[in-house]
Parts: sequence; structure tokens; C-alpha cells
Amino acid sequence: MQLARTASLVAFAAVVSIGVAHADDGIDVNTTWYQEQRQGGQGGLTVIHPQLDATVDVGEHSILSFGYAADAVTGATAKVYAVDAVSTATPFSDLRHEGNLGLAFAGRRSKLAVSGAVGVERDYLSLSVGATGSVDLPGKNTNLALAYSHARDQVCDKSNGELQPLERRALTGADPCAKDYGVFGKDTVDATMTLATTWRDLSIDTAQGTLTQNLSPTTVMQLSLYGQVLDGFQSNPYRQVRVGPNEPQEHVPDTRARVAISIKLNRYLRKLHGAVHLSGRAYSDNWGVTSGTVELAYSQYIGDSLLLRVRGRAYQQTAATFFKDAFFYETESTAGAYFTGDRELAPVRNAVIGGKLTLLSVAEDEHKVWGLFDRVDWNLKTDVFLLDELPADDEAANLGGRATQFLTSDQLLDAFELQLGLRTSW
Amino acid sequence: MPRLTALFVLCAALAGCGRYAVRPNEKEFLADPVMAFDGDPQEASADDHVLTNREGAAGGAGAGGGGCGCN
Repeated sequence: MQLARTASLVAFAAVVSIGVAHADDGIDVNTTWYQEQRQGGQGGLTVIHPQLDATVDVGEHSILSFGYAADAVTGATAKVYAVDAVSTATPFSDLRHEGNLGLAFAGRRSKLAVSGAVGVERDYLSLSVGATGSVDLPGKNTNLALAYSHARDQVCDKSNGELQPLERRALTGADPCAKDYGVFGKDTVDATMTLATTWRDLSIDTAQGTLTQNLSPTTVMQLSLYGQVLDGFQSNPYRQVRVGPNEPQEHVPDTRARVAISIKLNRYLRKLHGAVHLSGRAYSDNWGVTSGTVELAYSQYIGDSLLLRVRGRAYQQTAATFFKDAFFYETESTAGAYFTGDRELAPVRNAVIGGKLTLLSVAEDEHKVWGLFDRVDWNLKTDVFLLDELPADDEAANLGGRATQFLTSDQLLDAFELQLGLRTSW
Repeated sequence: MPRLTALFVLCAALAGCGRYAVRPNEKEFLADPVMAFDGDPQEASADDHVLTNREGAAGGAGAGGGGCGCN
């Protein structure tokens, strides 16, 4: 569940990238190791994320693609959002599988792609379909792309019947989450034939328009407008929030509408044999979260077979309107009907510093790489994450403090990520 | 939302002024792999996966492509 809610969001990225990965047949494999520090003496958070994607031409104008990814997650999570959430830390583990299949049709100046994806784990199921179309305008200096996807997700939840939000019980790791055919949720009953767990629906509709424009022989720009509507159960079913004397399951609105606009600019530097990359994004949603992101990166060829890229990224967001620092939920009750202990809905600053080294091998004349490939790239990438959690409420009035309300609180150097990848084409 | 849409339309209109900016024989550098937006979809997907679990915002990453500006 820790990583599940983003599965459908990332599935949209797979939709828009169909046919982008390769102009030729190819196989890409990549493994990501993500490690986050956590307080509470139950260990940190470890995620291993292997990916395999293949692209095959199936005719003069058709490209078939398929892929598989998994998430193996182990670590600690806080059971209750409270001033001292650290004392409620418990260990957990989860495994998610995801498969996708896509078909793209490429013409001289246009491309149309359709795709579908299935994601399965113990307590979260996702089915998604999507389509993307793109066209080059005359002159081939302008490309317009439109993409849309629909996901139908199901979240396993404790059966709370008609209980009011402050009475609802959270799911536990011991609760059963049954499935039909492995991909459809099925309600379960306990020994007294009372409904024990049920599956809650979540639909996600995502659309994006993108304009890519060559501005000069060395400069290209991209503009994107992104919108998404989520409708259904969006709480973490395991998370409890201490509200006065109660510890109910967290409760967030059923509908969330989000919009983002981004601009990217790439400029090639001929004398340096490198390129500079600039990007910015503005985001807003109807839960009150607004954010800004800026990123600066630089790519440098080193000889004919090495490419180095370094990057820095800064992000800051405001809190959701119903988010409170834990002390105020405990002493003042909720902000309206909703309450949450989700760090993603808190005010935070996040910075990323990283680098990537690529070893390039390209076939020359009739000499294929390893006797088989036109191109083989090895990638080694690392990122370091710095997190700064900000107060959501009056800091002077917060007598309980914020240092232990999240397992990640009070640690500036928060996490790192290591990726090893291999890209081939023939 | 209206302000974001207006900004997008304005930028799109400005970008449209560059239609004749680059001739086919001038696209050597634009076609270099480092000029592609999200040239490695697996890396972009893995990065999004991590960031959307740390941040409340999501999306707006673009649709890949770029470089030579053609399909």
C-alpha cells in the first residue's frame, strides 16, 4: 500500500511513453534501489524496483511493446499519526506486480498508441487503459501530443458499515484481502459471518496536452498541461489519526482534481559537446495543495563512449486545507470533516541532487555491438534526497512539537536512490 | 486554473512563431540523444514513482519526444 497509490499515476507515464523508447526493436532493463531513513527503531524503508520493457516492430508501421515491473517494499510505518507517532512504528512488507501491453501505429508525421496495464498486490488492484496521439506540423519543428488514460482501482478496506468517520476502524496487516481471478477484489466475512473486509473503488482519469517546439538549431522547448480527476476512496486504510481521545482511520475527500503546467528547455552547447536542461512546473489541486518545482541539469559527453549528467531539483508545496500538525488534531479536533496523517499533504520542501553516468556502445559499419546490437547503453544513476518539513499551524502554539509526528521528521538528509540500467536496440 | 490555461495558450502561441526556425539540414544537434525530453522512459518512470510518494503533486512531466521535434 505504501507505493500502491502511485501505480496508476505512473501507469499514465507508461501510456505517454509508448513508442518513445525506441525507434528500433529493443529491450530495456532497469533496477532501482530506494532507501529512506526512518525513526522508531524498526529500520528504514527499502524499495527494490526492477523493470523490463521490450519494443518490437510488427509490420512497417506498427510497434508492439510490453513490460513488467515490481516493487518489493520492506520497512517501518507509523500506525497512528500523533505527536509521538514514532512510538507506534511497526514493520511491514509488501510486493506489487505490474504488467503493461501497448500497440503504436506510426505514420510519416503522426503516431497513435493504445495501451493497458494491470497492477496487483495484496491490498490494492489497478486496471488501466490509455491512448496517446501525436502529430508533427509542417516543417517538423512543432509536435503536438494528446494523451488520456482511465484507471479503475480497488483498495482493500476494513468493513466499517455505516460508522461515522470518527468511529471507523483501520485495516490491519492481519485482515484478509481476497480476490477473484487475482485482479478483482472480493469481500470477506469473519467466523460470525459478519463482513470483515471490503474493496473500495477509485477511478482515475488523466489527460495531458504537450507541445514540443524547436526554437533554434540548438534549442528545443516543451510545454505541457496536465489534468487529473480522482474519484473514490483515497485514504490510506491502515493509517489512524489521533483526534482528541479517538484514533479513527484517516478520512480524506472522495474527489480530487489536480492540474499542472510545466515548461522544459534543452540547449545544446556545441563548443562543450554538452547540453543544459531547464524545467519548471506549477501545480494546484482542489484539496489546497499548491507547489512549484524547478530543475537544472547538465549533460556532458566525455570522449565517444561516456555521457555524464548532473542535476539539482528543488520542490516546495503548501499543505492540504484539512491537514494539521498532530498536536492540533489531538487538542483542537479536526479541520472540518476531514483528517489525515499523510506527509504528502503536509507542507514540505524537497531537494534532489544526483548524477548519471552512461557507457555508450554504438555499432560501426557492419560491426554490431556484441555481434547483435546496434546500440547498447549501460546506465548508473544516483540521487540524494533532502527533506525539510514545515509547520502547518502556529509553531509557537504547538506545545507538542513536530519532531516525532512523522517517522521521517528531523532528518535533513532523508533518502538516496541508486539505479542500474541496460538499454539495447537492434 | 484559468490563469494556468491562459499561460499555456500564451506560451504555445509564442512557440508557434518558431515554425520556420530550423531547416532540416540544421537539426544535427537537435537530433542528439541528450536533447530528447525523458529519453529514458524507465528512468523517468522510476523517478516519478519515488517522487509521487514523497510529494503531494503529480503529473506534468510531458510526453517525451523532442530532440529533432519529429515523430
